[in-house]
Amino acid sequence: MSPLVYYLFTLAFFVFAYCILTWGLNLQFGEGGILNFAYIAFVAIGAYITGVTSMGSPIAGQAGSGQTYILGWALPFPIPLILGGLAAAAFALLVAVIAFRRLRTDYLAIVLISLSLVLYDVINNFVPLFNGADGLSNVPEPMADVLGLDANSFVPFFTGVALIVALIMWFLMSRITRSPAGRTLRAIRDDPEAAAALGKNVFRHQLTAMLIGSFYAGVGGGLIIEFSGAFNTSAWLPGETFLIFAAAIVGGIGNNKGMILGALIVPVLFTQLPKFLPDVPGHPALILNVAAMAIGVLLIFVLWFRPQGIIPERRRLSKLPMATPTSAATASAISTPPMVGQDTQ
Amino acid sequence: MSDLLLAVGFGLVVASVLALASVGLSLQFGITNYVNFAYGDFMAVGAYIAWTVNTGPWHLNIWVALVIGSLSVGILAVLLNQFLLAPFARRFQKLFYILIVTFGLSLILLNIVSSIWGDEVQRYSMPDENPFHLGPFLFTGQQLIVIGIAIVLMVLIHLMLTTTRLGKSMRAMSDNTTLAMTSGIDTRRITTFTWFLSGTLAGLAGTVLGITQASITPGSGETFLFVIFAAVIVGGIGSIYGAIIGAVIIGLATEISALFIEASYKLDIAFVILILALLFRPNGLFARAGKA
Repeated sequence: MSPLVYYLFTLAFFVFAYCILTWGLNLQFGEGGILNFAYIAFVAIGAYITGVTSMGSPIAGQAGSGQTYILGWALPFPIPLILGGLAAAAFALLVAVIAFRRLRTDYLAIVLISLSLVLYDVINNFVPLFNGADGLSNVPEPMADVLGLDANSFVPFFTGVALIVALIMWFLMSRITRSPAGRTLRAIRDDPEAAAALGKNVFRHQLTAMLIGSFYAGVGGGLIIEFSGAFNTSAWLPGETFLIFAAAIVGGIGNNKGMILGALIVPVLFTQLPKFLPDVPGHPALILNVAAMAIGVLLIFVLWFRPQGIIPERRRLSKLPMATPTSAATASAISTPPMVGQDTQ
Repeated sequence: MSDLLLAVGFGLVVASVLALASVGLSLQFGITNYVNFAYGDFMAVGAYIAWTVNTGPWHLNIWVALVIGSLSVGILAVLLNQFLLAPFARRFQKLFYILIVTFGLSLILLNIVSSIWGDEVQRYSMPDENPFHLGPFLFTGQQLIVIGIAIVLMVLIHLMLTTTRLGKSMRAMSDNTTLAMTSGIDTRRITTFTWFLSGTLAGLAGTVLGITQASITPGSGETFLFVIFAAVIVGGIGSIYGAIIGAVIIGLATEISALFIEASYKLDIAFVILILALLFRPNGLFARAGKA
């Protein structure tokens, strides 16, 4: 296989993985209005748990030799992936139970961002958990031994697996966002008080969005560790959360199709393009710094000039002439009472 | 016992740094009603400007560098508010737009800092000092100056808020912006001044953090951010006196905890306290109605 084809498969894999990640964030943030600045921490939990449930115990001669980590199970694919997703969701449950009640958007964002910083610190320093700052490596390639795949054929194979997983996740997510619960969630996002006044349980709906979104984060992270075979704290710096947020906002928050476009444009552009640019002599990290700045600038520009993203959220309004959202802040200003917000497809 | 006293002594130093930082964050929150997630990076900018002034061609004294670094961040904060944050805050009613903007700003500032100054650990050029006993505690002269700066500034801010027209306008605006505006207060001017004050305090806190930790890195402000958040939330967000008390509680708790747990986890104690505060007193010790 030529390097170019190999490279294109790798790229395709990351687009599929990022699709899953942006769908999860979209459910939390785009549909549910939960500003989860710790999203990447949930991705990391999924990745670590998938790793330690597929690597086996860390004894000499095994995949995990020389590393220290918890669990050390060797479960067949796709069980570790699902466990990764469930672990992220379980962690989200813990966070939500502590922080969701009575907290305004920004308080919650503070708690979440603090949580990700602390978790980063603990995972980095506490070696017995996930091998500290070195992280997990030599994670076995799923099903490679059963199917007799080598390093070359594994990449297209697992890209195909990622596509199938992404299609399943897409199907589930489009069901969720179209359901009455999805509609209630958007109503809560647009006006929590009004939704509560109409008898909707704000806490329960946001909790559900948080759990399902985190499950998506965990599965996305699990796919990434299974594909690349290694994962450590340098893979989930706070900048990564921006990448997913930027993908969601550029694509168009509140719209699952927009997420695909965002996952295609933003991560590919900002993580792959810098690899082809020549290094600036004397400043080895300059290109990466500039790429990170560009993500931030892009995020701010899109929010100002096209807050609805490339593919705006479909206006799920009834034909009643009562609400005419202004063009600015379309994504958030759909201010019809939630009961009127019916699907008119 | 002597270990405990040493820890209390250094806890007071940390509390001083924290008090400067959390009062700056809290003042701005009280006026604009949104959290500035780029605050940690404001601190880093101040620390590095002071470092350049201190070790670069001018080679000025660290305390002069501290003043220059702080005021530069004050000016930077005013410019950022004028051209980025205020327009966003005016245009979008929903809180999360402006929060994402400050979040994005933190990424931009962090990377500007690390591309200008590099990622290596830097130090200020200061004379080495031997610590000396002051009562039961052990301090260096620099640590005492840091504590002194914090106390003097807290008293000055208190006097400004209670006795000057400007400070009273700030308090009025913090209580109710619309009412303040209809009473003839120039809210834009107050907002600008608040950003200047908040930025200056951020720069100051970033530099004294670098002085007391004897190291500066581009990410040091950002990793310190959750400790600041803990202090602010424990005290009650938007309340200046709460921020000071919160800073003392968190500063002492983190340093004293280092006696019992591994020192690399001591800042994480701040997060534990933050969670406990949210569970049992979510509005903070000095709750302000309607802010949570």
